[in-house]
Amino acid sequence: MIEDLSELWRFRHLVQLLVVRNIKIKYQHSFLGLVWTFLNPVLILSVLLAVFTNVVRINIDDYWAFLLSGFFVYHFVSQTAAASSSVLPEYATMVRGVAFPRIIPILAAVSSRFLEFLVEISCTLLLLIVFRHGGIPLSFILLPYLIFLMFALVLGLALPISALSVFYYDVRHLLPILLTALFYISPVIYTLDMVPEEYRLLYLLNPLAGLLDLFHMTLYEGVMPSFAYLALFSLQVTVILMVGYVLFGRFKPEFAEVL
Amino acid sequence: MSSLAASNQNSPKSCKVTAPEVIAVRGLSKRFYYDRHRAKSLRQWFIRSVLCRPVPNMPQAFSIENLSLSICRGESVGIVGGNGSGKSTLLRILAGIYRPSCGEVICSGGLAAVLELGAGFHKELTGRDNIATYAAALGLSRIELCNRWPEIVAFADIGEVLDKPIKHYSTGMQARLALGVALCGEFDILLLDEALSVGDQGFRHKVEERLKQYHADGGTLILVSHDLNHLRPLCTRVIWLRDGRIVADGKTETVLRDYEEAS
Repeated sequence: MIEDLSELWRFRHLVQLLVVRNIKIKYQHSFLGLVWTFLNPVLILSVLLAVFTNVVRINIDDYWAFLLSGFFVYHFVSQTAAASSSVLPEYATMVRGVAFPRIIPILAAVSSRFLEFLVEISCTLLLLIVFRHGGIPLSFILLPYLIFLMFALVLGLALPISALSVFYYDVRHLLPILLTALFYISPVIYTLDMVPEEYRLLYLLNPLAGLLDLFHMTLYEGVMPSFAYLALFSLQVTVILMVGYVLFGRFKPEFAEVL
Repeated sequence: MSSLAASNQNSPKSCKVTAPEVIAVRGLSKRFYYDRHRAKSLRQWFIRSVLCRPVPNMPQAFSIENLSLSICRGESVGIVGGNGSGKSTLLRILAGIYRPSCGEVICSGGLAAVLELGAGFHKELTGRDNIATYAAALGLSRIELCNRWPEIVAFADIGEVLDKPIKHYSTGMQARLALGVALCGEFDILLLDEALSVGDQGFRHKVEERLKQYHADGGTLILVSHDLNHLRPLCTRVIWLRDGRIVADGKTETVLRDYEEAS
């Protein structure tokens, strides 16, 4: 583990180059280029807002603010999870030709999407500060830690998904279904309180449920979550990351032979 | 990844006392399955354990079988053998890309391998960007890359195309980039697979000169080629492989003469 970290540090320059490369490739052939980073979330959010304020009415104060404080987190998690199944095939020639640490393509893919998330969350913060809270609530200081947890959780999901999808194509069939389901079984468009009490513990097994709830508390409501809740969720993320990391480690020596 | 530890233990073919051993391979075997064996093995496990029906074992083949060798610093070793004799697999194992099925491989020192054309390159990116990522993947730090940049670009010598996406490059031009990084990167060990067979006459000559210089500076070189005339001027020792085993290992002239007679 320590050895892996020091090796990762040695290859930090590669991570940085690959992040830049991902962003270049993503935008170089589009007319609007980087504008898509803003346009994309704005478009999706307007559709959601239009539907959930005019058609399906949900009784939540400042519904736009509620939706905004969780949606980009969900969006980031589901997009990176979906993309991670094709990361290693994209790097097939590189994996077959050079013995660099196999975790790097995954890390670079997550990080380059993460930069877009930072843009999204910054816009969110600005809107919430100006139009909802009229100031900066104290709970916002927790945000960096929550973002850190989110990154760890995503890595913990992306590592096993990317490794498994190299060997079992089943992952590619299953993943889109799971991710669609994830939208409905996570509190993106409704609050955690709406989930019946008796199912809530089961519901919280989905790590995204806890994560979104924490984001709602700190951003939308502007209250500090309890320490116990935060600790318990941190533990859940740690377990997921460790399991994902170990799984990835078991599969990685064979990537070059199968890709 | 092969462990990067210095080793001075007893080796099957001991080196001259002066030069330390940089590559040590002991009892190496590499098995390949013919199919995506993990998905298959999960299915077979299900049939065998849950449905309780017998299943045939998965077909597999040895690419390298019980191979041992030792290479010292400053040696320049050629590897010859027919198609499928295990040459490329051996290089991939030495480079840490394939994991040995059994046996031990120790490589000490910075290592660069040019195995496949376009390995580590991205078609949409420019030659410049690709040089940077390839060098970084081989483990060069940003400072090392900056220092060697002019030399790499001069060596590749492809002119203004350097700023165009490499999907417009010919194979020869791609090889120039890869070899530029590998040869100018000051690696302790170089593994080249058929690297000289692409590129025009002028470039081949340049690579040969560069490799001679590399050898004179004490670098360790392993070269796989079907063109024996490439090996003759560059290698002091040649290993002949057949079916994943060493047929002969010795002075270039002796081994190559036997090899030519046999084929």
